[in-house]
Parts: sequence; structure tokens; C-alpha cells
Amino acid sequence: MPAETHMEQSPMNRAEVLELVRDRLADILEIEPDEINEGASFADDLDADSLALIELVEALEEELADRTVGFRIDDEDLQDLKSVRDAVDYVYGKVGAES
Amino acid sequence: MAAEPQRLPVAVDAMGGDHGPHVIVEGARLATERYGIPVLLVGDPDRMGDTGGLAVKPALEVVEMGAEPAASVRRLKDSSIVRAAEAVRDGEACALLSAGNTGAAMAASLLRLGRIKGISRPAIAVPFPVFDATPTTLLDCGANAECQPEWLVQFAEMGAVYSRVRFGIANPRVGVLTIGEEAGKGNDLVKAAVELLETGSWATDCGADYIGNVEGRDLMAGVADVIVCDGFTGNVVLKSLEGGMAIAQRRLRSVMTSNPDAAAAAAVLEPLVTPVFDTLDAEKTGAALLLGVRGVSCISHGSSSAETIARAVRTASDIAAEQIVDHLRDMIDGRS
Repeated sequence: MPAETHMEQSPMNRAEVLELVRDRLADILEIEPDEINEGASFADDLDADSLALIELVEALEEELADRTVGFRIDDEDLQDLKSVRDAVDYVYGKVGAES
Repeated sequence: MAAEPQRLPVAVDAMGGDHGPHVIVEGARLATERYGIPVLLVGDPDRMGDTGGLAVKPALEVVEMGAEPAASVRRLKDSSIVRAAEAVRDGEACALLSAGNTGAAMAASLLRLGRIKGISRPAIAVPFPVFDATPTTLLDCGANAECQPEWLVQFAEMGAVYSRVRFGIANPRVGVLTIGEEAGKGNDLVKAAVELLETGSWATDCGADYIGNVEGRDLMAGVADVIVCDGFTGNVVLKSLEGGMAIAQRRLRSVMTSNPDAAAAAAVLEPLVTPVFDTLDAEKTGAALLLGVRGVSCISHGSSSAETIARAVRTASDIAAEQIVDHLRDMIDGRS
């Protein structure tokens, strides 16, 4: 395990990651979390533009920095995150129980 | 007797601007010496030169003028613009002022200060001089090149609050910038925004008087107190007016010294004309305000002189004292 990404707390399960992504996104888009489906497309279903996604990424990095030292979403990976599911899979891949 | 609360400094991005840190530092020193405003210089201490004893917050990275804003702000966490925004967020400073990369100033403000709830996108508000009257505020002047119709309604609300708080206009007249006074004039964005502006309760909520379409020629004619448009249009209008006025002034000064008779007449007219020129000079107005973030964030032109920076520091300090963010929050909380 690389020293710069070691876990400070217990790893998250996928449902916890989904809840975190949904909560932060709801906060940014000013909608209720239950209006956000896992399969929703950021652009087509949620009307979230690139700036909203950067707000989401910054919020997730801040939230997860304490849990996983050095947690960061790379800018070059951002363009691959088209939906809530993509974001959850990406984050879970870095901080999840099976990572 | 309770002690007077300590005045917070204006956080000045010392590394921003076309002319290098020394011009920004000189402007900050001027602001402190002339207006008594405390300043927190943010940047690389080794590149600032003589700071004249002003407080310094070290930040060793710089977002260059041509850099991609959001990516730079994310990557350069020890940059002067990011650290200056954090100084406002953390209560070390009352306001942020940057003459650097405008997009980066906006991104840093958005990501570090956060948006006011109920505002989808911050907008840059610029007051334009109107002779013998209060200024007309144009927004957005460049924060959002592409806009949605709903955002223009929010710009109208924010502009009305700004106009009331900053210039004391009880019921600001709000218009939308388009290509004709008649209803139905404009592109798809303007037409959709007009529909929302004509029907919603926003004007009642924020105490505005919606007056419909206005044209570019109305900008400095005193027909509206607030004019809204998308950021692309607003920036083109702003730069066109500034450039046009600067050329007109240079041409007039050239004619006034073209022969002895003209020079003699100019000597008489100079004291009358100079204040008029000053009113129209963007260098003399200082800073624009990014409305919609949870803190005071002011932006100056990259070409700003030390004199302009000093005025901009004063503007930023004044706006912070007027508690514009609290007024915006109150307006949004009171929406029906």
C-alpha cells in the first residue's frame, strides 16, 4: 500500500460512498438527495456543468482527505466521470473496502 | 467602554497583474498610507520587494494570467490567489482583491468561499458612471460566458441588492440588455430570460422595479440602475466602452494641444475637463465585485497601476463594511 494513500479510518463500503456522493452533489445542485439516482447522467439528467463537477470533486477530496491520506481525483480522470455511478465507482476504487 | 473591534485587512493577491508584484505592493502601501486600510499581502515574500511593513501571508505558487483557471486552482493549492481566498474564508481578511487571472480569482472564490445558497452562479458586477446620478451596475461582466435564463433572474436580484446597499437606491430599476426596446427583441437566451423576469415574484422579493429591455446606448444614460446580460456580452461591452473612452480622451487631448490657440483654450478648460475624464477612466474606478460567493471578492484589471490598486483596496474594504453578503442572504431567505 503506498504510504501517501494509506487509510486513516476504516474503509467505506459502496453504499456509504454512494450516500456521500449523493449528499455532496445535492448540496451543490440545491436539490434533495433522493432526487439523484445512481444511474443519473451529470449533464443530461442533473444539469450539472463542469464547474459543478469541480465543486463536487473538491468537496469529496476535502471530505475524504481525513480518511485516506493523499486522496485526490486526478484532473485527467474527470472527463471519464459522466454519471453518478461513474463517480461512485471511481471513489470506491480508491477508498473502498476492497481497494 | 468596549474596545473598538479590530478592522480586518484586505487580502491582496500580490502576484497577480501584468506589471509584477512591485506595482501591486506599491498600490497596497498607498492604500494603507492614504486611506488607513490594513492590507494582508499574499504571495512570495522574496518577489515582493519592500512591503513597507505590511503583513505578509506566504504563498509560493502563482496562477499565470493565461492558465486554465479551475485546473490551476485545483493544482496550485499554495498559489497566491488560493491563499488569499482562504484568508477571507478563515476570517483573517475582510475581502480579497486580485488583479491576476480573472477566471482563477472566480474559481478560487467559488471553491474556497463557496456559493451563497440560492445562487447558481456568481457574476461580476461593474458600476458604470452616469453624469449627475448614481452609477448603473452591469452584470455579468465576464464570470459566465454561457448562461441559463434563470441565472439572469438571479443576476437581477443580486444587482438590485448591490445597487441598494452600495448606492442607496431604494427600488433599483432593472433592465435586460438586448438589441431593441420592443418586446420580443433579442436572442433565445434574452427572450427566455425576459419571460421569467416578467412573470416571477423576484422583483417584489428584492424590491426592484423591472423596466424591461434596454439597449447598449442606455448603459450610461441613467435609464436603469441595474442591467443584466450574459458574461460574454457584458465583458465585450465593458472592454469596448473602456477602450472607446480611452481613445476619445487621447484624441481630445491631442487636439487641445495641436496649436497655440487650442493650447490656450485647453489651459482654461483643463480644470473642468479633467474631472469628467477621471469619471470615465476605468483606472480610477478600481475594482469589480464578484457577487454570489460567501465573501467579498474583488477583481481588478491585470493592467492596473499602483494608483488603481490603492483605489481598489478601498472599494473592497468599503464593500466588506457594507456587508453585502449578509444582504444577499437576507434577500434569498425572503424569497416567496
